[in-house]
Amino acid sequence: MTLFVQQLINGLSLGGIYALIALGYTMVYGIIELINFAHGDVYTLGTFFSLAILTLLGVTGIVSGPMLIVVVAVAILGAMLLCGLTGVIIERLAYRRLRNAPKLAPLITAIGMSFILENLMQYWKGPSPIPFPQVIPNPSFAVGAVTVEAKQIMVILLAVVLMMVLQTFVRYSRLGKAMRATAQDKDAAQLMGIDINTTIALTFLIGSALAGAAGFVSGVYYGSTWFFNGFAAGLKAFTAAVLGGIGNIAGAMLGGFLIGLIEAMTTQFIGDQWSNVVVFSVLVLVLIFRPSGLLGESLPNKV
Amino acid sequence: MRFSPISRAVAATALAAVLAACTNSTSTTSTAGGSSEPAAAGQTIKIGVDLPVSGADASIGIPTQNGVVLAVEEANKNGFAGGKFKLDTSLLDDAVQGKHDPAAGAQNVKTFIADSSVLAMVGPFNSNVAKSEIPLTNDAGLVQISPSNTNDGLTIGDDAKKLRTAHPDTNTYFRVCTRDSKQGLALAQVAAQRLGLKKIFIIDDNETYGKGLADVFDASFRQLGGTVLGHEHITANQQDFKALLTKAKADNPDGVFFGGNTSTGGGLVRRQMSDVGLGSVPYLGGDGISDPEFETVAGATANGSYMTVAAPDASKLPSAKQFIAAYQARFKSNVGPYSANAYTAAKIEIAAIEKAITDAGGKMPTRADVLKYVAATKDFDSPIGKVGFDANGDTTSPVLSLLEVKGGKPITIDVITLKS
Repeated sequence: MTLFVQQLINGLSLGGIYALIALGYTMVYGIIELINFAHGDVYTLGTFFSLAILTLLGVTGIVSGPMLIVVVAVAILGAMLLCGLTGVIIERLAYRRLRNAPKLAPLITAIGMSFILENLMQYWKGPSPIPFPQVIPNPSFAVGAVTVEAKQIMVILLAVVLMMVLQTFVRYSRLGKAMRATAQDKDAAQLMGIDINTTIALTFLIGSALAGAAGFVSGVYYGSTWFFNGFAAGLKAFTAAVLGGIGNIAGAMLGGFLIGLIEAMTTQFIGDQWSNVVVFSVLVLVLIFRPSGLLGESLPNKV
Repeated sequence: MRFSPISRAVAATALAAVLAACTNSTSTTSTAGGSSEPAAAGQTIKIGVDLPVSGADASIGIPTQNGVVLAVEEANKNGFAGGKFKLDTSLLDDAVQGKHDPAAGAQNVKTFIADSSVLAMVGPFNSNVAKSEIPLTNDAGLVQISPSNTNDGLTIGDDAKKLRTAHPDTNTYFRVCTRDSKQGLALAQVAAQRLGLKKIFIIDDNETYGKGLADVFDASFRQLGGTVLGHEHITANQQDFKALLTKAKADNPDGVFFGGNTSTGGGLVRRQMSDVGLGSVPYLGGDGISDPEFETVAGATANGSYMTVAAPDASKLPSAKQFIAAYQARFKSNVGPYSANAYTAAKIEIAAIEKAITDAGGKMPTRADVLKYVAATKDFDSPIGKVGFDANGDTTSPVLSLLEVKGGKPITIDVITLKS
C-alpha cells in the first residue's frame, strides 16, 4: 500500500509535466485544428532558456532564502516569455500562410519545424545531455512510510495552478471569449470584429509559455536536459491531450496525470519496458469506446 | 502566393541551418594524415574508421578515434611501406540524433566497401552496431577490428554464425577487448566478493550490449550465491526512472547494476537514485558507463559507482608510456578508456597491410591478403601488451580494469587478468 502511494506520487509528478505540455497541444488544436508537432521541442527549448537565464544569474546550485523566490520567478517567467515568443514566431512564419491550405500541409510544416528546433538546440548546446542546476532546496517530507520530495510538490502544484488560471482566462476574459469564438467559426468571429490573427497568435503565446514553464520544472526535477527530450515527452503529451479529449483544457490535464500514473503503475506492477505498451493500449481502448476522449471535445463540431 | 523578403530570408536561413546540422550529424570525412608528408608515389591506402563521434557517445568516441589517427600518422612518419603508399583514414560517425545507430553504422560500412582504397576498418564502438556491420564486411571480405565491442554473440556460438551470412567459413571480425561473459563474471565477482554485496537490483537498456552484459551478470551473481531482487529493462529515450527506482528501493538492495551505456540512461539512473533515497547504495556497470559523460550527467551522485573497462588502464602499463606521451603531445588531452585499444587495432591492420604489400610485390594488395595477415596476428607488441586473435576473432590476452568513481573522477583500483 505504501508502495502504491509512493508510485502514485511519482506518477502524478511525471504526469504534471505531461499535463503542462499537453495544454499547449490542446489549445492549438482547439483553435486551428493543427497538431503542432514542434510543441515538444518548444518544451525542451524551455529547459534550455531557463538554463541560459540561470547561467546569466550565476546560479549553479541550490539557492536559499528570499533570493530563491526571485531566481525561480525570473527563470520561470523568462522561460515562459521566451518560449511564448518562439511560439508566436513559429506560427507567424510556418503556419499562418498555410491556414487555409489542405490540412496535410501545416502538419508536415509542423514536423519540419520540430526538426529545425531540434537541430538549432543541438547546434546551441551540443548533442550531449547537459546538467541542470538543482536551484530549489529539496527536503523530503515523510508522511507515514511515504516520502514526498519538495520538487514533486512543486511540479504537481504548478501544473494544477496554471491549468486553473488558464481555464479561468479562457472562460471569463474578453480575450478568452475571442479565442473560443475563433475556435467555433473563424469567419463569423471576424465578422463580429475579432482580430483572428492576433487571437491565434495569443493562443500560441500562451500554449508555448506553458511549455516553457514545463521546461523549467523538468530541468529542476530531473537535473539534466538534452536537445532530443522533447520528442518522447511531446509524443506522450500529445497522447495525453487526445486521451482527455483534444481541445479540452481540463481533459489535457486529466490525460497528462493519467498517463503519468499508468506509466508509474506499469513499472511497479508489470515492468518498466511495458510502460509505453500499456499507455498506448489504454489510448486505443479509450478511443474505441469514446472516440472524442474521456471528457470529450469541449468545442462544438467543426468543419 | 506572396513572400515578403523577410520571410524568404528567414526560410533560407532555417534551411541552411538544417542542412548544416545534417552534415554535422551524419558524417565527417577528413584526411588525418595532414601533418605528415605525402609519399612521392602518391597511391593512397585508407583505414575506414566507424565510431560514434557526436552526441552523448562523443566523449568516449572521439578519444577512441584519435587512437587510430595517431597510429596512421606515425606510420606515415616512419615511412609506411617504404614510402610507396600514403596511408590515410576515412573517418565516419555512426551517431544519429546524438546516439550510436546500427543503420548509420551499416551505411558507413557500405561507404568503406565502395571505396577500393579502404583495405581495413576499425570499429564499431557499440555491439548493436557491430551486428548490423558484420554481415556486410563478411560479404565484402573487409577486415574489421573493434576496439570495444564486448557482446558474446559477435564472435561466439550460433549468433556469431548467423552474422557470417555470405561466407560462413570466413571471419572478418576481430576485437582487441574481452567479451561480456568475462566482463559480466568479473563484475559479479567484484560485487559478491570484493564489495560483499548480497542483494542486487538489475536494470538494463534492452540493447544488444546492455542486455547481454546484464544477463551474464544476473546468472553469475546468482551462481556466486547472491540474490537478484529484480531485473528490469528500460526503453529508448526514457528520462524518468523514479517509478522504477522506487520499486527497486522497496526491496532494500545492497547495490544496483546497470547494463547499458551512459547515452542510453546509465547516468540518469544513477542521478535519480539519490532522489528516491538510494544515493548511498553502490552502483555497478560495465564499460558502457566508463566514459567521462557519465560523471557529467550524474554529477556529484556519480561517487560510489564501480565500472569495468575492457582494456588495461593504459596509464598503469609500462608498455603504454610511449603511446600516452605521443597521444598527449598530438591531441593536447588525456587518453580515453579505449584510445590504446583503437591504436592497437590500427597498428595490427597497418602491419598486416605492409606484409600484404610485400607479398604483392609492392603493388596495391587485396582485402583478402590483409585479412589473412590480421587473422594470423600473434604476440603483437602493443601498448596494451602482447595481442593475438583466436579462431573466433577474440583476443588471446583478455584484461579488464576496475574503476571506482571517487571525488567525481573514475580511478583505476584494480587490473583483472582473465583466462582466455
